Amino acid sequence: MDMDRWFLIAATLLAAIGAVWGMISVHQGHRSQLTVFWMVAAFVCQLGFLSVRGQMRAACPLVGTGEILAFLAWSLTLFYLLVGPAYRISLLGVFTAPVVVLFQLFALVPGKLVENPPRVIGGNPWHETHSAMSVLAYGALALAAVAGVMFLVLDKQLKDQHLKSGLFRNLPPVRELLISLERLLWLGGGLLTIGIIAGFLMPRTTQATGHLVAAVAVWVSYVLLVGLKAVRGLTGRRLSLSAVALFILSLVVFAFV
Amino acid sequence: MELLCLGLNHRTAPVEVRERFAVGTASLGKAANDLVLLAEATEGVVISTCNRTEFYLAAVNAQAAFERIETRLAEKIQVDSSVSAHFYRKEKADAAMHLCRVVSGLDSMMLGETEIFGQVKHAYGAALDAGATGAILNKIFQRAFSVGKKVRTETSIQEGSTSVGNVAVDLAEKIFGHLKNSEVMILGAGEMSRITAQSLVSRGARSIFVANRSFDRAEELAKEMGGSAVRFDEWQSVLNRVDVVISSTGSPHAIVHRSDVEKARRARKYRPLFFIDIAVPRDIDPAVGEIEEVYLYDIDALEQLAEEARTRRLLQIEECERIIMHELEKLNLPGM
Repeated sequence: MDMDRWFLIAATLLAAIGAVWGMISVHQGHRSQLTVFWMVAAFVCQLGFLSVRGQMRAACPLVGTGEILAFLAWSLTLFYLLVGPAYRISLLGVFTAPVVVLFQLFALVPGKLVENPPRVIGGNPWHETHSAMSVLAYGALALAAVAGVMFLVLDKQLKDQHLKSGLFRNLPPVRELLISLERLLWLGGGLLTIGIIAGFLMPRTTQATGHLVAAVAVWVSYVLLVGLKAVRGLTGRRLSLSAVALFILSLVVFAFV
Repeated sequence: MELLCLGLNHRTAPVEVRERFAVGTASLGKAANDLVLLAEATEGVVISTCNRTEFYLAAVNAQAAFERIETRLAEKIQVDSSVSAHFYRKEKADAAMHLCRVVSGLDSMMLGETEIFGQVKHAYGAALDAGATGAILNKIFQRAFSVGKKVRTETSIQEGSTSVGNVAVDLAEKIFGHLKNSEVMILGAGEMSRITAQSLVSRGARSIFVANRSFDRAEELAKEMGGSAVRFDEWQSVLNRVDVVISSTGSPHAIVHRSDVEKARRARKYRPLFFIDIAVPRDIDPAVGEIEEVYLYDIDALEQLAEEARTRRLLQIEECERIIMHELEKLNLPGM
């Protein structure tokens, strides 16, 4: 098996350990402080994977579903490492790690990652900017969806007055979750804007045009969401549900377009 | 040389007796030296909090030291000998065990409270600085502090809030995080509202609005808490800006209805709103809690949470005492 796959397998195992470790800690009512270290180790392996694939491709490794999913998992981990410790949201890692595992497991499904990938010939810088910025944006938007799920869990527990679980004790406050979620939506939206502008500037095939139209539709949805939140306001529940639904929807759209 | 402890606390003495023996924080070092002289002991530490005054001594003969200190203290403070009935006396391992229980919050009025740890540490530090301690008390107190830390980290004796006010404040922090950006409105200037609002202010709540049927009383309470008074028929106008509403009026029917909150939602941009209803009959219509961004807790819900925390703490006592016993055995004290 090639080195790139070993890196991805190692990253998946490390993230899985982080997820299980975190869940056990939370179940026992402790803070999952070690999850961040497992995620750092997973991040290093993801970098290894992207580096090997990048050398093979002689370009940003974003060709095919497997590479896109692996890049997305890397982007999600990156934003978690940037946002989580800064906001002291250790539990964010416990919710993020399973999503990273899921993306990477899909990437590892036979056939998703081309073996010995050919070099990208005649690459276009706008194309690479479009791909990289879009996937980075989805990393931020995925983390926003994770924060949304955390809010929904906390909101349900507060509403039902079920406040005894270790999970409740470890979840960050409602207001902090909503602030993080909103900032991640703005960040993801900003990166997606750059990606889409680059998409309009790159040379396109008919298939790429369809893909770009889908990306614009997703972008418009996110702009409407953050705009609505900023101008009119939205309840935490609606904001969170929208962030989760839009992220899932956009993944589904790109799987078929 | 023997370790001994003479003390009185909230269980053995009423406040009028406890206050006679109270020692100011600034005088604890001098009091420790006075104690050593009074008891003709070699070492002494005086602990004095609102719920207890305790004298820890190292002396050659415990019984003689007890007699001297009780007699001389009664003379010094000018109380009759009947005060002896309020004292408890502990020697050797019992005294060390008692100190560890005190430091761990097991002997406190509010089981598991953490403030006592700092108070004992301060009292010991004062005695140490005053030169009133020696090998025995240094060893016992330092071990008691390490045992206290172990008890708190290895058990859940301090987890959860045990009073309605603190449960409400904890919930407010779970919703809003730091309260420094939060504004609070009190409906009804009753005692429970005042206590709960004061807890919120002590944790950083930015401003307080007080609405009461008697505007004079609202102004009085607002002044006391550094807030603003609001006329009772104008409380809805303040709802747009506050994060927490504490209600405790004597009204026989609900005064906050779903429609009142619905009207304010748009202006509030659907921000989270926490209602604490500590009135009986309830002031807030339960339908208010059905609004998405509203978290509504009434007195029963808060009391139940406090009771659960108290029960959890009670269940931890045995484990705490096992840890204390295990740690003290390492000291090989006489009587262990």
